[in-house]
Amino acid sequence: MRRAIIVCCVVGLVAGGVVVWRHGAELLSLGAVTSDMPSPDAGRVTDGVYRNDYFDLAYPLPEGWTQGVGGPGPSANGYYVLETLVPKGEFAGTIMIAAQDMFFAGEEAATTASMIGAVREAMSQVDGMSIDAEPAALSVAGRAMHRVDFSGVGLHRSQFVTEIRCHIVSFGLTARDQELLDKLRASLSGLAFGANKSAPPCVKDFVVADNVVERVEPELVTFEPIAVRLVIGARGDVKHVRAVRASAGQRRALEQALLQWKFKPPTIDGRPTQIETGLLYKSAVAAR
Amino acid sequence: MSRSGLARSYSLASLSAILLGATILSDAAVAQTANQAATQSTAQTQTGTATNRTSRGATDPGVRGGDPGAGDAIANLTEAEQKYFDVAKDVFQEVDGVAEGLGPRFNLDACAGCHSQPAIGGSAPAVNPQVAVAKAANNVIPSFITESGPIREARFVRNRDGSPDGGVHALFVITGRPDAGGCRIRQPDFAGELARNNVVFRIPTPTFGLGLVEQVSDGTLEATLAANGQQKRALGISGRFNRSGNDGTITKFGWKAQNKSLLMFSGEAYNVEMGITNELFMNERENDPSCQATSIPEDTTPMESENTGSPTADFQNDITLFAAFMRLLAAPKPAGAAAPATGTAQAAASTVVASADSVLPVAAGATSRTSSTSTNATATVTRGGQVFANVGCQACHVRSLTTAKSSTAALSNITFEPFSDFALHDMGQGLSDGVSQGGANGREFRTAPLWGVGQRIFFLHDGRTKDLQEAIQQHSSRGSEANNVVGNFNLLSTDDKQALLNFLRSL
Repeated sequence: MRRAIIVCCVVGLVAGGVVVWRHGAELLSLGAVTSDMPSPDAGRVTDGVYRNDYFDLAYPLPEGWTQGVGGPGPSANGYYVLETLVPKGEFAGTIMIAAQDMFFAGEEAATTASMIGAVREAMSQVDGMSIDAEPAALSVAGRAMHRVDFSGVGLHRSQFVTEIRCHIVSFGLTARDQELLDKLRASLSGLAFGANKSAPPCVKDFVVADNVVERVEPELVTFEPIAVRLVIGARGDVKHVRAVRASAGQRRALEQALLQWKFKPPTIDGRPTQIETGLLYKSAVAAR
Repeated sequence: MSRSGLARSYSLASLSAILLGATILSDAAVAQTANQAATQSTAQTQTGTATNRTSRGATDPGVRGGDPGAGDAIANLTEAEQKYFDVAKDVFQEVDGVAEGLGPRFNLDACAGCHSQPAIGGSAPAVNPQVAVAKAANNVIPSFITESGPIREARFVRNRDGSPDGGVHALFVITGRPDAGGCRIRQPDFAGELARNNVVFRIPTPTFGLGLVEQVSDGTLEATLAANGQQKRALGISGRFNRSGNDGTITKFGWKAQNKSLLMFSGEAYNVEMGITNELFMNERENDPSCQATSIPEDTTPMESENTGSPTADFQNDITLFAAFMRLLAAPKPAGAAAPATGTAQAAASTVVASADSVLPVAAGATSRTSSTSTNATATVTRGGQVFANVGCQACHVRSLTTAKSSTAALSNITFEPFSDFALHDMGQGLSDGVSQGGANGREFRTAPLWGVGQRIFFLHDGRTKDLQEAIQQHSSRGSEANNVVGNFNLLSTDDKQALLNFLRSL
């Protein structure tokens, strides 16, 4: 038996080491997923297709493209770099798939139109950047999107955005030449968006005093608000808690406390309905 | 034991081992990555694919020669303030011995020893003074300290028991110095810690213009970080501030923006780098009684006038004068600055800017460059500024900030160009040092201000490279907010890459 346990230990050590060596210490990062619901940043590329269960989307990569360097974890206000894609051969362009949680962003991210307008405004102010195509609404792979094109210093870029689960999901395309950019744009027609049937409808600003029946304060102090996504059941009980960016201790404290909160049963069209919503948790800070 | 119990035991052992293996190797990986990078000036970049590294047609012009354009006081000081600065600058250059409190453990014996390139107040010089200081006391020179390498401090990632360390472990001891008395302590076992991949490094940050930085309000910094949010999002950039555990306000000094003020920065460095206790940091970091020759704190507020020539300085301790020196030290001038980069103090906001579109003097010590290269470089600096903004460098390396109303008129309402947002950004696995400071985690670093970068020799927090282009590439690795910007850089034509490098060396 002792020998068997030793063998298990060795195998475990090697397996753990290999996992961390390959994927780095970010496995232990602030953005780690702590519960069973898919997280926005839990997408992956398999068999030449980027799939994201949270957003229920699939994107067949352009031929000859692969995963690039992984991006950072989620930001404090719910901005995610979901995936970066690069060509396998000559480095001639990049694709970045990102998402901004609309619950925690400013007015600029209130709609896809306002967001793409803000991109246009920001880029037009960069010295040497020209707007090649003004913001426009369009349909890509049967889904409503907004798009803007801009270029400067030999880089040609397109930004496409669409709304999914109260996030603005963006596809940022960059290429050395117009021909490649056209090819990358065309590749977006291969996008497949699921119905996201298992996802509860998202409702902004549900966590207000009038809707909270019972609250338990987390035992934590934070100088900056922590963005939290909640799933609230049809009876007003909290089903799921996910702090967007928090330390392990903060995450634990938030989950323990928020799972005890009770809300008025959320309704849509008068019927009690399970919903997904957001909370910006702020703790009292005593300045010395 | 039952069969199910046996299975549980196996499973538990495997799980424990996996977690143990993962923990041990993740720490080792951080230090190994840092060490490999820090010890190879031509370190492998981590841009994702080998084909990303196709920028070899462009070259770093090297350290800009000519007038340092740094080291003097900010313009428009009053006569009293100028005298105060002059005294403070002298004190900043003082070399301390054991009688003044040096050690028992230390990294160097003078502020100006570390902060000297291209002028007093700057960063690590071409010849590392730590080597001579170490030899004088018969210290063993750690392998990561060389005459032509950067000045470094060393931090250990973990303690022997596996708990997080992250603190500075001074390189040298006073043992063996003629003024050391009976002190017989030994240096840390750096060779052993290196073998355990447990050592990470930091190099000195330049202190030019820090009075301007100190005077920027939190509101301005927060607005700057929020500005152009969509441009940042299009590039994969977010960022956040490090904050004081005392009052929640923004902290902005040091590689991880861990220090609240110039006074705090001075007090901490005097204690940690030179071993001199002071009225902010009262405790010796080495408690061997045979090494405690002086009274604590070693740097105190004088009770009688020091007759320095500055009534203000006469009754001030060293750390206050260090802070004063940095506070009144002018920003570095870019190449061909049309006006002093110190500006004029006016009731309304004034602008402290200098055009970077004129000359780019021949690099100091550059032997491979031709005069035509230099001429071309000059011509492309303006283009380089455009490239800098277009590829997205400017999203974090924000060009200008404006100070708030200051009690020092020369620092009041000044617009200046530090090329930093002073926020923390995730720089990925490749630059991670595994050290947490305040709210900054192991991968987060403050956006390094780029003013004066044209005359800096060593780059990145650990001085791992002298090559600006390599420094750019090192911004990209798994988890870095800069990946997309580096990708944009790698997509540029060789001419535009060169223009960007020339622009940076003009700063």
